[in-house]
Amino acid sequence: MSLSIEFKYSMRMLLKKPLFTSLTILIVAIGLGLTVYTFSLLNGLVFKPLYLNGENEIVAIEAQFDHNHLSRRAADPYHVNLAAKQLGIFENHGFFTEGTTFIGGNSSQYSALFTAKKMNASYTSVNIFDMTGIQPLHGRGFIQDDFVDGAEPVVVLSYDVWQQYFNADPKVINQQVALDAMPGRIVGIMPEGFSFPDKAQIWQPLNERIVNPVEATFSSYLAFARLAEGVTIEEAQAGLDAINQQIASSIKEDFNFRIPDDGRYLNVLPYKQASITQYYNIFIALLIVVFLILLLACINVSNLLLARVNERIKEVAIRLALGIPRKKLMIQMLWESVFICTIGGFLALLFAAYGIELTNNMFNQAFAINNEKPFWWTLNIDSQAIVILVFSIIAMVLITGLFPAYKALKSDFNAVIRDGTRGALGKKAANIGKALVISEIVLSCVVLVMATVLLSTGYFASKADYGVETTSRLTAQLQLPPEKYPVRRDTEHNYQDRINRSQVFYRIKSAIDAMPNINASAMMTQLPGTGEGTSFFEIEGRAAAVYNENPYSNNELIASDSWRALGMKVIQGRDFDHRDAEDGALSIIINQSIASAFFPNGDAVGKRVRRAGRNGQRGDWFTIVGVVSDTFHGSTMSSSSASYNSYHSMDNLGPMRQYIAVHYTGDEKTATAALMQAVASVDSDVGIYHIQTYDNLIQQPMKLLLSVSKIFLFCGVVAVILAASGIYAMASNSILTRTQEIGVRRAIGAPDKKIMLMFLKQAATQLLIGLALGITLSIVLTDYMSNTIVINPESYGIALVGIPLLITFMVIIATYIPSRSILRLEPSDALHYD
Amino acid sequence: MQNQDNTLVALNALDKIFYTDDVETHALEGINLTIRQGEFISIAGPSGCGKSTLLSILGLLDTPTNGNYQLSGHNVTSLDKDERALIRNEKIGFIFQAFNLISDLTVQENVELPLSYRSDISKRERQQLVADALKQVDMQHRANHFPSQLSGGQQQRVAVARAIAGKPAIILADEPTGNLDSKNAGAVMELLDKLHANGATICMVTHDPRSASRADRIIEIFDGKVVADRPSETPSAIAI
Repeated sequence: MSLSIEFKYSMRMLLKKPLFTSLTILIVAIGLGLTVYTFSLLNGLVFKPLYLNGENEIVAIEAQFDHNHLSRRAADPYHVNLAAKQLGIFENHGFFTEGTTFIGGNSSQYSALFTAKKMNASYTSVNIFDMTGIQPLHGRGFIQDDFVDGAEPVVVLSYDVWQQYFNADPKVINQQVALDAMPGRIVGIMPEGFSFPDKAQIWQPLNERIVNPVEATFSSYLAFARLAEGVTIEEAQAGLDAINQQIASSIKEDFNFRIPDDGRYLNVLPYKQASITQYYNIFIALLIVVFLILLLACINVSNLLLARVNERIKEVAIRLALGIPRKKLMIQMLWESVFICTIGGFLALLFAAYGIELTNNMFNQAFAINNEKPFWWTLNIDSQAIVILVFSIIAMVLITGLFPAYKALKSDFNAVIRDGTRGALGKKAANIGKALVISEIVLSCVVLVMATVLLSTGYFASKADYGVETTSRLTAQLQLPPEKYPVRRDTEHNYQDRINRSQVFYRIKSAIDAMPNINASAMMTQLPGTGEGTSFFEIEGRAAAVYNENPYSNNELIASDSWRALGMKVIQGRDFDHRDAEDGALSIIINQSIASAFFPNGDAVGKRVRRAGRNGQRGDWFTIVGVVSDTFHGSTMSSSSASYNSYHSMDNLGPMRQYIAVHYTGDEKTATAALMQAVASVDSDVGIYHIQTYDNLIQQPMKLLLSVSKIFLFCGVVAVILAASGIYAMASNSILTRTQEIGVRRAIGAPDKKIMLMFLKQAATQLLIGLALGITLSIVLTDYMSNTIVINPESYGIALVGIPLLITFMVIIATYIPSRSILRLEPSDALHYD
Repeated sequence: MQNQDNTLVALNALDKIFYTDDVETHALEGINLTIRQGEFISIAGPSGCGKSTLLSILGLLDTPTNGNYQLSGHNVTSLDKDERALIRNEKIGFIFQAFNLISDLTVQENVELPLSYRSDISKRERQQLVADALKQVDMQHRANHFPSQLSGGQQQRVAVARAIAGKPAIILADEPTGNLDSKNAGAVMELLDKLHANGATICMVTHDPRSASRADRIIEIFDGKVVADRPSETPSAIAI
């Protein structure tokens, strides 16, 4: 009965102040919603260990991350096997590499595959399905016989590929299909959602010789492993560190390129984290931002509660004076918190679920063209997130219920009744108010600066001048089928193989150029705007003592007569020609930035340069034959991108894949058809995929960052709302508590403008302290992010000038409006304000 | 400047009406009152009769709804906020029941506060005026203390110093002894007597008949109207 009365009274109190109640619920919902959302996002993407169908965690084993190219570096299976055998830290392990395989073609009986389709292929060791504990839905997985020399090529299809291209026909098992234009056999279909190790659409076997070499090799493969029972990642790494020392001390000179400067060759990483190493800092930054937003929300709730305590302190004092037990008052205040936090928590779950849905859509869009979304990047709110939410609600109930109760109940109720609120509040409350305003300024500054930096950097990167013409340009990737255009290194066929591969590319280029609506075409391993990554090079006679003190550049293979299709120009010297197709021809073209920086007298042509690697690795000397206009490879927001570029002729190197850029007239659809027709007319087994506009291509590397930027934008918007309302509420509350003081000042003759000036001066002090701390923290955090992304000066300018200005504006408004409303009171009313 | 007949304050047919939702409350009705320079006036009456409202209007802390208010011969009824602030600062000194010292400021700073809003007084003059005022209330030894370090009586003496530091034309005191024990109340009243003896014009609202009796004249108010204006030695018209 008593509980029921208290509950009713609590409800009445909340309903009496609908604005306060709604606002508090909303802030609780935003705070908890962001907590659940971010927990689900980061747990799903990065932190939740991958177990699949096993007891122990699945980890990645690889060589040290390549920070120059921002890419994972694979290890020699020989060394990984050695470590696994000696240490016994893995239950089992396997290897994989990722690539593309074209399925279907002219011989296909499935209409969707009449034109060969490019699939993300995972070439793996035999135990991949056993290790993950997931067996095929139809057919079989791999068996040892699939991995021996001369075995029939087999393929296991993903559920999606089976559905999309094979009409979900179970009879495809054991049917033949063209794999890169060679006959192969479908042996299995995996269950829905399975695309381990990363984004596989099909699985093909890696030769046994590759995964179990008897001695060190030049091969590099990524490895997955399930940790042995009771072994932690830290213990596994400690074991690998010991093995690394052993390998470093015994490795032959040919292979010492594998040993990094700090000796940490083999590394074990949580599986999910390994795939996003280059973005790890950004996710951590996101975590920090959301944590700060939570703090912001908490401060806002605290402020509301403080205001509420100030408002109700007299009522509480009267109730205490009437003899109501403190325990009952506390329970009543807890009831109010239970209501606010439960409703807020429910809304939070809805907000978080909506956010997760939006994020899943965003990821799907970001990876729509290349299907390269890792399989665990489909987020959901799991039981762990619900547990976190429930605990957060309980914690919030206790904090938001007990805090005001404690504050109200510990006051001297006799003094409160006698003196009104003047005796109850005072300097301590005012100082808390000031500290809260400063905290709001600091937190909003940090969150908004980081969000602005990321968004602005993404925007400028997408609008950056990459030195190429992108209008009316289509791009696509071409891939030669390896069975038809083999790579036979260390044999007498090697040179002729390379020439054959180059020639087919040139025939395709000629066919494209001959199309009526095509002006020109270019072929390059990675087109400007993409293909980040750099290597050090030495200039003959000017080599630095240590290899990494030399300059570095991005390097691409290019077909001759490619410049004009990209809007580039040969400024000095010549383009590549037949002379560069000869075996052993070592010519190079550099861009203008390198020429200006290192050959300022215009004498670059004829000079020689060579690659420089660690442990004394040096390449052949290449002679500079030309200088071309500048382009920028990689996104301008990627720290591995380069403005120094050098180009090698593809003629005598014969790549297996090339990007093509086509300058067309007329409409894009006709140009796309012409491009595909031209390729098919030369060789229908040559794969062409990822056909898209040049502008879209440039945005591809930034898609993930732009997706994360959108999350930051959302956080930024939330932060602006919280900060604006919070700063206003804090300043307003802080000013309102001084109403009587203002009455006194006005009574003794203070002009209104002097009082306004006094408030503005005090606000300016808080603003300066808050901004100084906020900007300092922002610089530290953006510097942390700049390990991964290049923040352009404009973004720094916008963030570090624009955001403080915005906050200054908010503080001025937050000070001016409540001050003006107090000054509108007659001094006599202000003096008697309660 | 003041009138030739020495009138400092002249209220003529003054009304004050408060509007709360649809309710009109007539706090003051047809008040006619004259205060001459050097007078010590006491305004008395039961709670809610309009004493404090009258004092607020006299102190330009509030504006009348109707009527006319002349201070030192100037019509101050419809001045703007800044003009009223200037007159409060230069011509009026306030003493409040709850002292109303600013807790973040020291005694010295509290007394100096009204002077700091005046541009015609140099810093040195200001400090001299503060020192003189504190000396008059015998609080110079506590100049660097904060209000919270003082007793109630001491705080009220500081408030008196603040009221007189700028040498105002009139001192308005709203229940100056209401929050004090009898000993401190007596001390504050002695201070006011001393100020009056030195020529200050004082208008005091009080419940306390003993305090009221110290005045030259007692104005009695009931339901917003002046019901008596009598010398202090004459018996009251109403039961207070």
